Amino acid sequence: MIARAGELLHVDALHKSYGAIRAVDGVSFRVGAGEIVGVIGPNGSGKTTLFNCILGQIGPTSGRVALAGDDITSMSPLELARRGVGRTFQTLQVFGQLSVRDNLIVAAQEFESTLPRRLFARPDAGLTARADEMIERFRLKPVAQLHAGRLSYGQQKLIDIAMAFMPRPRLVLLDEPCAGVNPSLVETLRELLAELNRVQGGSFVVIEHNMDFIMRLCPHVICMVEGKVLAEGPPQAVQSNRAVLEAYLGN
Amino acid sequence: MSPAARNIALAIAILALATSAFFLQRSQVYLLSLCCVYVMATMGLNLTMGYAGQMSLGQAAFFGIGAYIDAILTTKLGVSFWVVIPIAAVACFFVGLALGFPALRVQHHYLAFATLGFNVLVYLVMRNEEALTGGTFGISNVPRPYLFTWSLDSERAYFWFTLAALVIVAILMRLLLRSPWGRAFAALRDNPIRAESLGINITAYTLLAFAIGAAYGGVGGVFYAGLVQYVEPSTFYFTTSLMMLLAVILGGSGRFFGPVIGTVIVILLPEVLRSSSSPALQFMQKWYLVAFGVALVVLMVWLPGGLLSIGDRRARKAAA
Repeated sequence: MIARAGELLHVDALHKSYGAIRAVDGVSFRVGAGEIVGVIGPNGSGKTTLFNCILGQIGPTSGRVALAGDDITSMSPLELARRGVGRTFQTLQVFGQLSVRDNLIVAAQEFESTLPRRLFARPDAGLTARADEMIERFRLKPVAQLHAGRLSYGQQKLIDIAMAFMPRPRLVLLDEPCAGVNPSLVETLRELLAELNRVQGGSFVVIEHNMDFIMRLCPHVICMVEGKVLAEGPPQAVQSNRAVLEAYLGN
Repeated sequence: MSPAARNIALAIAILALATSAFFLQRSQVYLLSLCCVYVMATMGLNLTMGYAGQMSLGQAAFFGIGAYIDAILTTKLGVSFWVVIPIAAVACFFVGLALGFPALRVQHHYLAFATLGFNVLVYLVMRNEEALTGGTFGISNVPRPYLFTWSLDSERAYFWFTLAALVIVAILMRLLLRSPWGRAFAALRDNPIRAESLGINITAYTLLAFAIGAAYGGVGGVFYAGLVQYVEPSTFYFTTSLMMLLAVILGGSGRFFGPVIGTVIVILLPEVLRSSSSPALQFMQKWYLVAFGVALVVLMVWLPGGLLSIGDRRARKAAA
């Protein structure tokens, strides 16, 4: 598959069927290097299934996914991680019994040297500085030594997202980063993601129901309905699209 | 306590324990040695289960494989104890690696039964392969080793030898747990799906957790054979695995000193209760197992995270 100049992710005619149900029904889109793409759509429109197909959690029925021109369709999550694809999950996924700092270090340590060598590496795998930088950025310094599982939902959400960025991925897929987060933290998250995009230069694909968040973070938005891409383009154009309004509000 | 102060306190405690051998009876020194060899095995189980989150009811099988390798190689082939240790460690490492494969497919109680089945299988081999293992009669007259020219035949010498070996394997375990591997094991335990999405090879770490835990069991078994100087299959039945599991959980699973405390209690408490000479406790000679059982139930209800979780519990109460 030949990538266009500056293109990182190319999803091409992706299908996923469960019997007669077409959860993902011929979705195609492209994400440029450093671009932030939002994915919106009503509940059950296939957004998370699309993510799971891209991320190798489930195999698509047909279609292809390419990362910088390499076919990565149905690759294991481990292989994708090694190729620089990071993700967050819809629900909180932190390592509860590790300290906040260790959560961040473990998120990046497997990208440093080889597995046998890590046995003899420095305990922090040389990542304390990078972890502390991330802790600073996410305002987690007062709790850096505490077990992640003991912290508040909002703090765990911040750790969860910070972990995905620790390995400095080329592409991050964020599944509802604002779910269950209070409005002031939503604003903080938006600022942090915009900042990380600037600093690290990775591409993001963000599933989100919070329209304000998507409109302000993503220059490009895809609206999915019933497994298909209904509309695509700049946020204002998608938001005022008649078909999108109908899908959300009904006739 | 600062880490340096803790290390000094620990060194003093170990020296005190070593010195205590001068003041104890032969049978009491033997019990201390028994604790040391079982701690080697439970420390390995704590890595597999407490740190990496992989349930195992087969640790006694590795303990037994180590013991039989020592008994067979030293009595039948005259191999030196010192050569047996690495052989047993490597053999158990690879058998443990093989046992890790079911863990890639099943977890928790399903994995417990898969490992239990393995333990029964190993027991049957020990019991039925008479030409090699001596069947139910086992193998007796297992020799104790020499340290250069110094015989470790006496109870005291063998205790010091075992204690020193335990300190060495414990330090190795500590280094392993502090390395990036230790953190990866904890990540595997806490959330394998997230771990994989962060490039942690959960297949490799699951297998390694079993293999290294098994190697510790095997080394413990070698020292056990040298201590008891006699091996027979029933010692390594799955009930011993249950006892080891109890020791880990009782002390505090996933805590470095958990298996140490747990093993000491599981081995010494019944003995202390039984042999108590104070008149008030004489009824214990008949009731010690009942008292032991009751104590376990109370402890588990009070501190489900194990004895070493008492500090956390206090901290949480203070915060609340």
